[in-house]
Amino acid sequence: MDKLLEVKNLTTSFRIGVGTVQAVRGVSFHVDQGESIGIVGESGSGKSVTMLSVMGLLPNYADISAESIRFDGRELTQMGPKALRAMHGREIGMIFQDPMTSLNPLFTVESQLTEPLRNHMKLNRAEARAKALELLRQVEIPNPEARLRQYPHELSGGLRQRVMIAIAIACSPKMVIADEPTTALDVTIQAQILDLLNHLRHSTKTSIIMITHDLGVIASMCSRILVMYGGTIAEEGTAREIFYAPRHPYTWGLLNSIPKLTDSPDEKLIPIKGTPPDMLMPPKGCPFAPRCRYCMPVCREYMPPRTVLTDTHAVSCHLMHPKAPKIEREG
Amino acid sequence: MASPLIEVRSLKMYFPVGLSLFGRRKLLKAVDDVSFDLYPGETFGLVGESGCGKTTVGRTLVRLYRPTGGQILYQGTDIANLDEKAVLPYRRKMQMIFQDPYASLNPRMTVSSIIGEPMRLQGMPQAEITARVAELVEQVGLKKDHLNRYPHEFSGGQRQRIGIARSLAMRPEFIVCDEPISALDVSIQAQVINMLEELQDSLGITYLFVSHDLSMVRHISHRVGVMYLGHMVELASAEELYSNMQHPYTQALMSAVPIADPDLAQQANRIVLQGDVPQPIDPPPGCPFASRCRYCKPVCTEVNPEMREVAPGHFLACHL
Repeated sequence: MDKLLEVKNLTTSFRIGVGTVQAVRGVSFHVDQGESIGIVGESGSGKSVTMLSVMGLLPNYADISAESIRFDGRELTQMGPKALRAMHGREIGMIFQDPMTSLNPLFTVESQLTEPLRNHMKLNRAEARAKALELLRQVEIPNPEARLRQYPHELSGGLRQRVMIAIAIACSPKMVIADEPTTALDVTIQAQILDLLNHLRHSTKTSIIMITHDLGVIASMCSRILVMYGGTIAEEGTAREIFYAPRHPYTWGLLNSIPKLTDSPDEKLIPIKGTPPDMLMPPKGCPFAPRCRYCMPVCREYMPPRTVLTDTHAVSCHLMHPKAPKIEREG
Repeated sequence: MASPLIEVRSLKMYFPVGLSLFGRRKLLKAVDDVSFDLYPGETFGLVGESGCGKTTVGRTLVRLYRPTGGQILYQGTDIANLDEKAVLPYRRKMQMIFQDPYASLNPRMTVSSIIGEPMRLQGMPQAEITARVAELVEQVGLKKDHLNRYPHEFSGGQRQRIGIARSLAMRPEFIVCDEPISALDVSIQAQVINMLEELQDSLGITYLFVSHDLSMVRHISHRVGVMYLGHMVELASAEELYSNMQHPYTQALMSAVPIADPDLAQQANRIVLQGDVPQPIDPPPGCPFASRCRYCKPVCTEVNPEMREVAPGHFLACHL
């Protein structure tokens, strides 16, 4: 399959008063056409900043450098802000976590939904309105005529998120980036939204990048997963590889710290000790070393290399070294 | 079974929300006729979507609100209508852990004064407070040199530990945990949950665990109540509820939980509920869930179903 997005060696840091926060430290990945990939990680792992860097949506105190960011055959690092803007919404749609803060409270659904259609697709008012109605039907909003005239505060959280999705897919983008799209919603509404996203992906062949901390959401949505920790990719693989054959101790830790509905209730959770690293002063070696129960001296000194296990599965961990002790996953 | 620590009988908590067109007071029925028992040393999980009244139940139990109606029997004494002064001795036995560890700790107080505050308010001598604070800090896995620091120096998980130490200060019998982990990262959630379980084992505390995280509730709770729109719709032991759920709402809620397992998620048979939760302001008669229920019958829109026991210890409010 063709690579729609390919990111090579992306580094992003923020200059703030007390120093430099190294939010993303050398991340490379790609997204195929029509594929849905998930990026999981804890707060501060760099998952959102990675995608915002790709989009060029970070404030100007952010330093972004990358060997290459190719989207659909074009090099984004060479493009000016104007050209990037023309692409946002047109070819890459974004869905943010909190629909209440990302929709403008002063404008009706109609004006927010028709804005990309009129700017990017150059539709006239009547055409844009007709397309907006069609989009609202597509995201299964009942009574779309009435909804067009309403303001965001008149809608429930689930409906707002549907409007956000409608805006994101308005110009039939090639790729949609969804940053924690269901975190602010109740489980029953979350299930509706995930169904909708899955359905849209199958019917429109849009690639989806799903950023979340919820492994359950990832398991039901994504075919490939990147696990991020401390600004680096700790492990990447297909959903089955990550859930059934994970190799990185951090991935083990994540999977062990969530209770499963199928577990016996007496089973103890195995938490990961300690707290995520401070990215103002990231550890010299592997970012997970201070919390890792299999930490070796080398882990504290050197960043682990990326070890490729299969075509899709790769791990950055010193335990993959042929001379490292063989360790089986617990739990 | 032992006699209950707290018996909740027909608890009602209504909030006035402005006036209707003819000057009649509109009421938001946050909690409407909820009854259940809490046994010593158990964890009772309370689940439901936002706006179902689960947090209000927790806050009413520790008498942060004065209930509109019903009884809260604490070891047999009704504390629902005691005035501020008379309720004080009970407040000591009941504590609360809040959702947001960033908002629930005073940023201008050091850790030791935060943890010591409840004891100071109860007039304990300073030397005793200092000793007890040191003991508490150790109990929740913090270090002694953390004591003179301020909350902003700590991570979310550590702050939640400070909040827990504060709630333990007066050696309570009962703690309401209101979404204690939802602001924390996954790897930290497990740390806090394990600590709560260990504290319960060693101190015999009873928890009311309010959460929307259904898999965590199943993990930590002995019994679970499911709330919808101010009503308790189903109540059973965790095992019974999760294996033999009967209420259509419980079934829909459980099936909506994303499963962290790609193969199972593929097979999962999701019941997707249509529409949103209605407003609990002047709700229509009948079963609260009728408007979204796929088995809704005529009787459901007229009569609110009574809670009945369908199996030993398994209570259900449904006409089916």
